[in-house]
Amino acid sequence: MPAVAIEFDDIGLTFASASTPTTALEAVTCGFEPGKVTALIGPSGCGKSTLLQIARGFLEPTRGTLRFLERANGETTVRPAMSTVWQAFNLFPWLTVIDNVAFGLDLAGITKNERDTRARRAIAAVDLSGFEDRYPRQLSGGMRQRVGLARALVMEPEVLLLDEPFGALDAQTRLVLQEQLARLVETSGTTAILVTHSIEEAILLADTILVMTARPGRIAARIEVELPRPRSVATTRDPGFSALFDRIYELLRDEVMRAMVSGQGEAQ
Amino acid sequence: MSLSPVAKGDAPARAKPGYALLDDPRVLGWGSIVVVLIAWEVTARLFNVSALYLPRPSQIVVALITLFGSGGLAYDLGVTLWRIFAGFAIALVSGTLLGLWIATSFRARAVADMFIAALYPLPKITLIPLLIIWLGTGGPFMLTISFLGAIFPIVINTVLGVSQCDPGLVLAARDLGATPQQIMRRVLLPSAIPSIFAGMRLGLGVSIILVVAAEMVVGKAGLGARLYLAGQILETEQVFAILIVLAMLGIIVTKIQDAVDAALGNWRVD
Repeated sequence: MPAVAIEFDDIGLTFASASTPTTALEAVTCGFEPGKVTALIGPSGCGKSTLLQIARGFLEPTRGTLRFLERANGETTVRPAMSTVWQAFNLFPWLTVIDNVAFGLDLAGITKNERDTRARRAIAAVDLSGFEDRYPRQLSGGMRQRVGLARALVMEPEVLLLDEPFGALDAQTRLVLQEQLARLVETSGTTAILVTHSIEEAILLADTILVMTARPGRIAARIEVELPRPRSVATTRDPGFSALFDRIYELLRDEVMRAMVSGQGEAQ
Repeated sequence: MSLSPVAKGDAPARAKPGYALLDDPRVLGWGSIVVVLIAWEVTARLFNVSALYLPRPSQIVVALITLFGSGGLAYDLGVTLWRIFAGFAIALVSGTLLGLWIATSFRARAVADMFIAALYPLPKITLIPLLIIWLGTGGPFMLTISFLGAIFPIVINTVLGVSQCDPGLVLAARDLGATPQQIMRRVLLPSAIPSIFAGMRLGLGVSIILVVAAEMVVGKAGLGARLYLAGQILETEQVFAILIVLAMLGIIVTKIQDAVDAALGNWRVD
């Protein structure tokens, strides 16, 4: 078994409710490798984001065990440092770009000078230099999400969590940002978990794709993406890309149909 | 609150140059006041209205100058302002903290809901007799009455603002390592600020009303006391003069609040 950054062993989550308990996740077993990008893809409401929340520690699973990157002393229960990029950006509207990016550093009590240097470096990494003193409302959606990305990267997380990061953006902006993110993860060697609806996005960005079933969510398939890097929009014309796309689509179609029939897809 | 200038843009399209002035809302606003004052002055002179009932604007201005010059009205204005703002400041600090607590604690909310439901709709002016029994008519009484006027709108709006905070922002802050205290101070409080200002606006208005009313009932100093006294001895010019001071106070307070509201634009995402 290769080293893992995060490992889910038989993880399940059932929401207790007076009338009918809802099982969101059922017996999920999977590992996320360090230095790799793993995409979670599945129909709406399959529990992709729930899985991310469990990894982050914001939700407690009702069964199963979580294991983390083995530390020098053999310890596997210490959660690695993680930062999330959110679908809704979740920027603080009353703070400027640089203050948004430096927010986490400020909370951690890092000095003003170091905060500034690190925030400016992160802002430069997402091509937003010159916009440090703008407010989020003065930026386009794509720029806002780049701030969101810089805010997560500046924390130097061991695992970067991407929760449908481009879900709220228009198609063109999405393409450009996907390419930018692909470049960032390729050069930095970050461990990342990407939750997405988009097969294309999963193939472009990920080393491994985990396809999930409709609720209750389980891992239906694990697919390694062997396409060469760097990947870009041109990659989508690679025959290997089409073959992967078709294979994942095949797997997803049945699950999406199931989700639609049971009405859970729309409920999310 | 200022009325928005309607169709300001089509002013240059008018052919007659003389009418351009009438398209400026400020000229219209101030101009109409001047017209009314002139009409008032002229009518009062023409029909020889007794100053006892309706003093002329010119007489009111003279009374105003005299009151400020030798009548010590500046002192009364200072006393009234101190009473209003001291009570208001206490209400602002305690109301914001109380609101934060109520909004974030299930138990505090359950308890506070009952008290607010019982006390908020009660006209605070009806508390004046009870407060006089408890506190007398001095400084503590005035501070309390001003405090009571402002505290409810501030608490209620703080609770509202905090509860309406985008849960995504709280999650983002947690993700970046914020402790519950940091979330309260760095996320919930700033996101509630526009709402807290709305509460301050309402609260300050009530504080002004209550302090002036209380001064009319029991005060020996202050604008309300002077107003009541002037009425008692039929100094109608002085009554008008003090009313003008109160109106000016209202305008200044409103304009400052408008400026603060405009500065809060950064709090809104879109």
